[in-house]
Amino acid sequence: MEKVIMGNHAVSYGAMLARAQVIAAYPITPQTQIVEMLSELCAEGLLDAKFIKVESEHSAMAACIGASSAGARAFTATSGHGLALMHEMLHWAAGARLPIVMANVNRAMGPGWSIWTEQTDSLAQRDTGWLQFYCESNQEVLDSVLQAFKIAEQVLLPTMLVLDAFVLSHTQEPVDIPDQELVDSYLPPYHAQYKLDTRDPHAFGALVMPSHYMELRYKMQKAMEGAVEVARQADEEFREVFGRGYGLVEKYRLEGAEVVLVTSATITSTARVVVDELREEGHRIGLLKVRMFRPFPAEDVRAALAGASKVAVIDRNISFGHGGIFAEEMKSALYNGSHRPPVFGFIIGLGGRDVTPASIQGIADYTFEHDAPEAEIIWREVKVTSG
Amino acid sequence: MTEEIVFKTEADMPYLPMSLGTTLVNKTGSWRYIRPLYVDKTPLCNHHCPAGTDVVGCLALIREGKYKEAWELIKQENPFPGVCGRICPHPCESECNRGELGGAIAIHTLERFLADWAARNGERGMSNEVPVTHSSLLVTHHSSPVAIIGSGPAGLSCAYHLARRGYAVTVFESLPTAGGMMRMGIPEYRLPREVLDREIADIEALGVEIKTNMRVGDNVKLSDLLEDYQAIFIGVGLQKSRKLNITGEDAEGVIHGLEFLKKVSLGEEVQVGRKVAVVGGGNTAIDAARTALRLGSAENLTRNDTKSEVTILYRRSRAEMPAIAEEIEEALAEGIEIRYLTTPVEVLTASGRVTGLKCVKMELGVTDESGRRRPVPIEGSEYTLEADTIIPAIAQEEDIAFLEAEIQEPESGEQPLIGVRRGRIFIDEAGATTLPGIFAGGDIATPFGTVAHAVGSGKRAALAIDRHLRGEELAGFPPPDEAVHAVPKDVDPTVVRFEDLNLAYFEEVERPEQSQMPVEERVRGFKEVNLGFSEEEAQAEAGRCFSCGTCNLCDTCLIFCPDVAIARTPPLFPPTFGGDEGGGYEINYDYCKGCGICAEECPRYAISTEEELKWKK
Repeated sequence: MEKVIMGNHAVSYGAMLARAQVIAAYPITPQTQIVEMLSELCAEGLLDAKFIKVESEHSAMAACIGASSAGARAFTATSGHGLALMHEMLHWAAGARLPIVMANVNRAMGPGWSIWTEQTDSLAQRDTGWLQFYCESNQEVLDSVLQAFKIAEQVLLPTMLVLDAFVLSHTQEPVDIPDQELVDSYLPPYHAQYKLDTRDPHAFGALVMPSHYMELRYKMQKAMEGAVEVARQADEEFREVFGRGYGLVEKYRLEGAEVVLVTSATITSTARVVVDELREEGHRIGLLKVRMFRPFPAEDVRAALAGASKVAVIDRNISFGHGGIFAEEMKSALYNGSHRPPVFGFIIGLGGRDVTPASIQGIADYTFEHDAPEAEIIWREVKVTSG
Repeated sequence: MTEEIVFKTEADMPYLPMSLGTTLVNKTGSWRYIRPLYVDKTPLCNHHCPAGTDVVGCLALIREGKYKEAWELIKQENPFPGVCGRICPHPCESECNRGELGGAIAIHTLERFLADWAARNGERGMSNEVPVTHSSLLVTHHSSPVAIIGSGPAGLSCAYHLARRGYAVTVFESLPTAGGMMRMGIPEYRLPREVLDREIADIEALGVEIKTNMRVGDNVKLSDLLEDYQAIFIGVGLQKSRKLNITGEDAEGVIHGLEFLKKVSLGEEVQVGRKVAVVGGGNTAIDAARTALRLGSAENLTRNDTKSEVTILYRRSRAEMPAIAEEIEEALAEGIEIRYLTTPVEVLTASGRVTGLKCVKMELGVTDESGRRRPVPIEGSEYTLEADTIIPAIAQEEDIAFLEAEIQEPESGEQPLIGVRRGRIFIDEAGATTLPGIFAGGDIATPFGTVAHAVGSGKRAALAIDRHLRGEELAGFPPPDEAVHAVPKDVDPTVVRFEDLNLAYFEEVERPEQSQMPVEERVRGFKEVNLGFSEEEAQAEAGRCFSCGTCNLCDTCLIFCPDVAIARTPPLFPPTFGGDEGGGYEINYDYCKGCGICAEECPRYAISTEEELKWKK
C-alpha cells in the first residue's frame, strides 16, 4: 500500500510492522511524531506493544534495555539533546549485547539553540557500539527499521537509523508500506538466548575483573566486523522479498569518474542531480553514498574509490579540532590501501542551513580546480566577506 | 585471586557479562534494615460508623459484584442496611478521604443499593438465608431468656445480636407495630415501610418474639420481667416532644412533632391547615414540615386548591441547623420556607383555636456549651406570623415513669435502683445500668440520637449480656462514642488519613448523586423521594473508593518490588477478600532488601515498615 507520509511516520510504520513489543520514549522535536503515532497505534490496539512513558531519554533507553534484557523486541526514537542524554545507556545497551533499534532524527546541538538538521549528534555516539545507518528517503527510513531489527538480532548489537530533521522527518513522500505478512516472512520473532527470567535468575552486567573485561570487548568488535556481511545479506534478502535495496554504500555514476563526491543522508539526493548535470556537460564526476557508518564498510569504500583521482567528502557535521567526520573516516579507510587519492573535506550546511545544487556545484568546481585541498577543512558558504 | 580462565576457542568466550550460576544463592535479605509488612489499617469510614460496619470491605465486594456477600457483611454488624442506607446521617461520608478528591463516596446510597438488591433477590427466597449464612455465629442454644423493652433500632439490634448468639429473646413493644422511631418518627417518603418490615422480619426469622401492644409498667410489670428473664435491655428511646412553654401552646391546632409524625404513621386522621408553622431545626422539624406539606397537598388537591404553606422557624442560622443537609435542601426544593433567627414567644388564638404565632427575631451572641453561638432576642423585633397549624419540634424527652414505678415501689424513698442522670438512664461502657442484669441503650441512655448509634448501642449491650450470662467480666468495652463489632476485624486501629495515601494512583472523579423523584410529583404523596443507584452507578461509585489502609490486591507492590521478593499467595489474607479469587501477598524475606519501595508505593497505606529486630537497641 502506497501512502504519502512524512519521514517520522515512516519510522512509526516501520516499528509497527516490525512488531516492536516494548516502546519507551520521551518526546523531543523533531522526533515527537514518531512516538506520538506509535502511542496511538498502541492505544488503538493496532500494535500489541507496551508503551512506556518515561521522564527522560536516559530512562527511555534504560527501559528499552530492561525490555530487551527480558527478551522483548524494543524500540525507541530520539533526537539531538535527547540522544546526548542517553549516552551512558547507549554504552550499556551495546555492552549488554541487546538488539535494540532506535531512530535518531539528526538535530544540531545547542547552544545556539537549534532544531534543524546536522549529523554531529549521532556521529558523536559512534564509539558506543551501536550500528548506524544514514537514510536518504522516507522509503529508506521505513525499510531501514525492518533491516535494523534483522541485523541487530543476528549480531546482538543495538542499531540506530538516522534521518535528517525536517528534510525527511517532516517532509511527505510517497512510501510503499509493505504487507505485514511479507514483513513477518522477512523478520521472524526475536528469541533471546539469555534473558531476564524470575524463574531462573541470573546476574546481568555485574562486575568483570580486568582479567576478562577485554575479552568482552574483543567479542563486541568481532560482532561489529561480522555485522558488515550480516547487513549486506539483510539488504540483499530485503531486495528479494520487497524488490528494493540500498546496499551498505551506493555507487552512482562512478564509471570513469575522476572526482568522486562522498555524501550521506539527504544531501545525496541533491548531489545526484548535480552529478547528472555535470556528466551531461562531460565532466568526469561520480557519487558515493555512505549509508552504513558503523561498522564502517572500509572494503566497500576502497573498492568504490579504486578509480578516483580526487575524493570530495561533504560533511554536515564537525569534530571540533579535527574536521568533518566522514572525511576523517574516508582518509582512515584509504590510508592503508594501495590507492590513496587526495581527500577534500568540505563542511557545509551546519544547523540545518540548506545545501543546494549550487552549493554542491561549488564543491565540485573547487575539487576540479585544485590538485589538493588547501586546508584540512574547506568551509563552504560561511558568511564572511574577507579571507 | 580468582582463577584465570583462558578460552579454548572464541566461541567459548562469553559475549555478555552474565552469571552462569543462579543468583538465588545470593540472599540479599541479609542486607535488610527495615522490614515491610502487610498491615491493614482502619479506614475513616469504618472508624466513624456508629454501627460498626466494615464499609471498605463492603465496597470491595460491590466492586467484585458480590452483592450478597457485601450485604451480609453489613448484616454481620447491623440488621438495618435498608433503613440506614436511607436515613443515616452517614458520618462515614463526612470523614471519607475521597472528599478531598472529587467528593466523599456515596456510602449510604451504596448500602441502600445492597439492601434493595437483597430485597429484590429475596423475593426469590434468598433473604431467609441470612441467618443461615451467618450460622457460624450461632454458638450454642442458650436457655437463658432475655427481655427487651422497646422495638426501636437499639432494642431490635440488641435482640438480633443476642438471637444470633442463640438466646431466646422477647421484645416488648407498647405500640401495635414494631420499629420504634424508625416507624413512628421517620416519614414514609424517606423510609418506605416495606423496607423496615422486611428487616424486622429478618430479625424475627432468627426466633425473636416481638410482643406488640405490651407496655411495660402497664400490661406487664418490670418486676415480672425480672423474674422471668435473666437479663433485660431497655431501649425505649425518647418518646415525648419537649414543650415550647409559651402561652397558648395547648390551643387547638398545636400538635407536637413526634405526636404528629406518629399519628400519620399509625394512619390516624390528622388535620393540617393552610398555613403551617413548624418550630425547630432538627430532623424531626424537617420531617414534620415535609409531612405537613404532603398532607396539605393531598387534602388541597381534592379541594382543587393551592397547597399548604409550610414555614419552619429556627432560632439560629443555617450553619447551626442540626438537620441532615440533604433533607434541608430537599425541603427547600419542595417549597418549604425556612425562617432563620426567629423564635415564637406566644401562640395567638381565637376561641381556643390557633390563629398565628407571635415571633421575635434573634441574633447570634456568644458561643454556648454546644459550641454554637447562642441566639439572643432582638428587642422590639416582634412580629406576627399567620398560622392555623403549629408543630413544635424542638427536642425529645424521656418518659421513664414505668421504671420509677416498678423499681422504687418495694421500698419507697430509697435511691432508684436504676440510676438516671439528666433524664437518661445511666450506663457504663458495657451498656450496663446500675442494676446487675439490666442493660440499656439507644436514645434513653446515650446522647447521639441516630439510628446507627442506636444499632451500635444495642449491639454493645447484646455482647455485654452474652458475657454477663456466661459469667464473664464486662470490662474492656470501648468508650460509648466508639463502635463495637460483633465480628471484629483484625486490623491495626491506626486510621488512614488523606496524606497517608499515594495520590499518584488516584484521579479526581466527581461524586454521583442518586436520582430523585421530581418535586411536583413527590409532594403529592408519600412515595420515596430518593431513587437509589442502578447497578452500573453502584459499580462506578464503589470503584472510586481508595480502599484506605486495606489491601485490595492491586499488585502495585508486586510490580514494584525490585527484588521480585513479593508473590501472590493462596486465599487467607486479607479475610474480607478471601474466597475463590482471594489470597494475598507473601514477602520472601530471604531476598527482600528492605528498600521500602512497596510500602512507599502502596496506594492505600496497607504496607507498614518496622526496624529489623537485630538492629534494635
